[in-house]
Amino acid sequence: MKKLIALFLCLMLVLPVAAALADDMTTEITLWTFPVGGFGDDEQVQTLIADFNAVYPNIKVNVEYLDYTNGDVQVTTAMEAKTTPDIIFEGPERLVAVYAAANALVPLDDLWTDEAMADISAGVAAACKDAAGVYYEYPLCSTAHCMVIDKAAFEKADALQYIDMEKHTWTTEGFEMALRALVEAGYNPTGLIFCSGQGGDQGTRALVNNLYSGKFTSPDFSKYTMDSEENIKALTMLQKWAEEGLIAFDPSINGGEELALFVNGTSKMAFCWNAAIEGLNRDKLADGVELFPMTFPTDKGDPELCGGIWGFGIFDNGDAAKIEAAKTFIRFVCDDPVQVRKSVYMSGYFSVRSSVTGLYAGTEKEYLDTYAPFVQYLGDYYQVAPNWNTQRYEWWNLLQRVGAGGNVADEVALYIQNVNQ
Amino acid sequence: MQTTASINRSLRATRRRESISGYLFMAPALVFFLGFVVFPMFMCLFNSAFRYTLSEFTFVGLDNYVRLFQDVKFGKSLVNTLMIVLVSVPFTCLFSLWVASAIYQMRQLYTSFFRCVFYLPVVTGSVAVTVVWKWMFNPYYGLLNYVFTALGLISKNLNWLGSADTALGCIITILLTTSVGQPIVLYVAALSNVDHSLVEAAQVDGATSLQTFWRIKWPQVMPTTLYILIITTINSFQCFALIDLLTSGGPQDSTLTIMYYIYHNAVKLNNFGYGCAMGIILAAIIALFSAAQFRLAKSGS
Repeated sequence: MKKLIALFLCLMLVLPVAAALADDMTTEITLWTFPVGGFGDDEQVQTLIADFNAVYPNIKVNVEYLDYTNGDVQVTTAMEAKTTPDIIFEGPERLVAVYAAANALVPLDDLWTDEAMADISAGVAAACKDAAGVYYEYPLCSTAHCMVIDKAAFEKADALQYIDMEKHTWTTEGFEMALRALVEAGYNPTGLIFCSGQGGDQGTRALVNNLYSGKFTSPDFSKYTMDSEENIKALTMLQKWAEEGLIAFDPSINGGEELALFVNGTSKMAFCWNAAIEGLNRDKLADGVELFPMTFPTDKGDPELCGGIWGFGIFDNGDAAKIEAAKTFIRFVCDDPVQVRKSVYMSGYFSVRSSVTGLYAGTEKEYLDTYAPFVQYLGDYYQVAPNWNTQRYEWWNLLQRVGAGGNVADEVALYIQNVNQ
Repeated sequence: MQTTASINRSLRATRRRESISGYLFMAPALVFFLGFVVFPMFMCLFNSAFRYTLSEFTFVGLDNYVRLFQDVKFGKSLVNTLMIVLVSVPFTCLFSLWVASAIYQMRQLYTSFFRCVFYLPVVTGSVAVTVVWKWMFNPYYGLLNYVFTALGLISKNLNWLGSADTALGCIITILLTTSVGQPIVLYVAALSNVDHSLVEAAQVDGATSLQTFWRIKWPQVMPTTLYILIITTINSFQCFALIDLLTSGGPQDSTLTIMYYIYHNAVKLNNFGYGCAMGIILAAIIALFSAAQFRLAKSGS
């Protein structure tokens, strides 16, 4: 019995050593991903990791999922506690503007080869680097955020005449006429300018900026320019339309709730929409609701849409082997000719590479091709401007004040004072 | 003499052993208290003297406190928080005392039933409670608009959480439903423990119900009242989840509370030092309120 116990104790000592030796053969990395299309779905992510491990069996990838409600808190807490993951999947507004600005990320200039630079648009590349020109994100996919209307309701209200159905565009004047037609046809609410929080705020920003061709920031993204004549005019017009009952400011809902009200048939348009959102909602539509994605109304007929760019960043955890393994994973997901198509398809968006096209034709996601032309309307990727988090908070507060009848010029001045510090 | 000395030594040893045993029994709780209460409090105080963000940690002395008292939003959040406290604390105490007085002499089954009904919102997760209330307050298809319109109390749907006039009232209403459960249970227990012979004696002497309550029962439930006052005050000051889930402090800062503003600054904007300074001020305010309540309750009893 004593011998057996002695043998057991010896094994207990030896086994961890053996395990450690075996572990030396494997590098273990952790991926945190925000819910970007299929990147929030464990089954699809595990398939991607299995494909990766088929080529690189000695790199083990653990994955944890973030959501947009608590994800920021989880990441910043991890940064403070020095427990960040190795890889994170999100957009430049977090990777470049927040994490890299806090010196938490590894430069990724070596991933940006000449081949990648030639294949990825200059606009996307510019968004993935900081002011010093150092790349902190390697992008996979992008989309243009747009709005959507209930085509059936517009048809009944005889409001389709104000829309260029082929180009999915309309003018500011046409938008106003369409709102009047909807109200006269008894539709109320028509559209809801949601402002209870920052969720989906790209929609309200684009609505305001497009109405009279205003810009959200200066060309170098160094300061916010909501106090321009065009933007003040746009907010004043929205306030006027709200007073006339053509549209409504709603401080009790955010972007997600706004699109839920559209999907269930309560409102007739939604300002927070894109290709992936259609994918998530097309099976939930109330009877009679017919989706028709649109650009935002503009006075000059040249809409500018907010873009979403999603890609990978690597946290600097001081382990060269893990950093190298993380780069191998990113190269596989974004650069491998076969895998990149699968990765982008999984996201439900469009590749940032001009060479990767035709992903959805003939598939169950064929409806996404409707959104491909919207990419031509992509505007500046201004989400990397300084004080971005403060700006997001101040934006929906501004809309609340304007919606409550505040003096637009004064409210905008207060907003500018708070964000351009 | 030797005998006395040895007895003293033995007594001292016994006392020492008892002290050690006492400290050992306390140790687990003490470790948690020091680690999760005292240490974070000192860290909060320490950090409040720094401009502490994700990329900066600079000593600024009392600058965060100076900035805080110049911050209009902090002032608004303080007023809103005080409004919540001043409405919810007295209402919670009076309502729970009234309910407890009504149910504590009922048959056991009925008393238990009512205790369960009022305690249910306490044990239900705040997220679940909030989701239900949000649906009830919905301006487009919410139950509240439906009922009030049917009763002729309102002519058109109201945006309860979207109006600066009604949002804080909605928050206080929800807070009350989740706050009264525990005080009712405590008051039922306290009233059941009131010396019945004193009540009977007062009744024999011709005391009215009000006199019996005020002269006999009220003094005996005073310790429970004090506990309820302090707990309800602290909970009201720390009102956060409802704000976060329902209004994010809006509309137009009408529901912005100190707790939410601390969260917003420290977690959303990563101004940790500024958030810590607010936390210290909030702790000081709660301590002042609690001390005042102790003093009032003592003088009352």
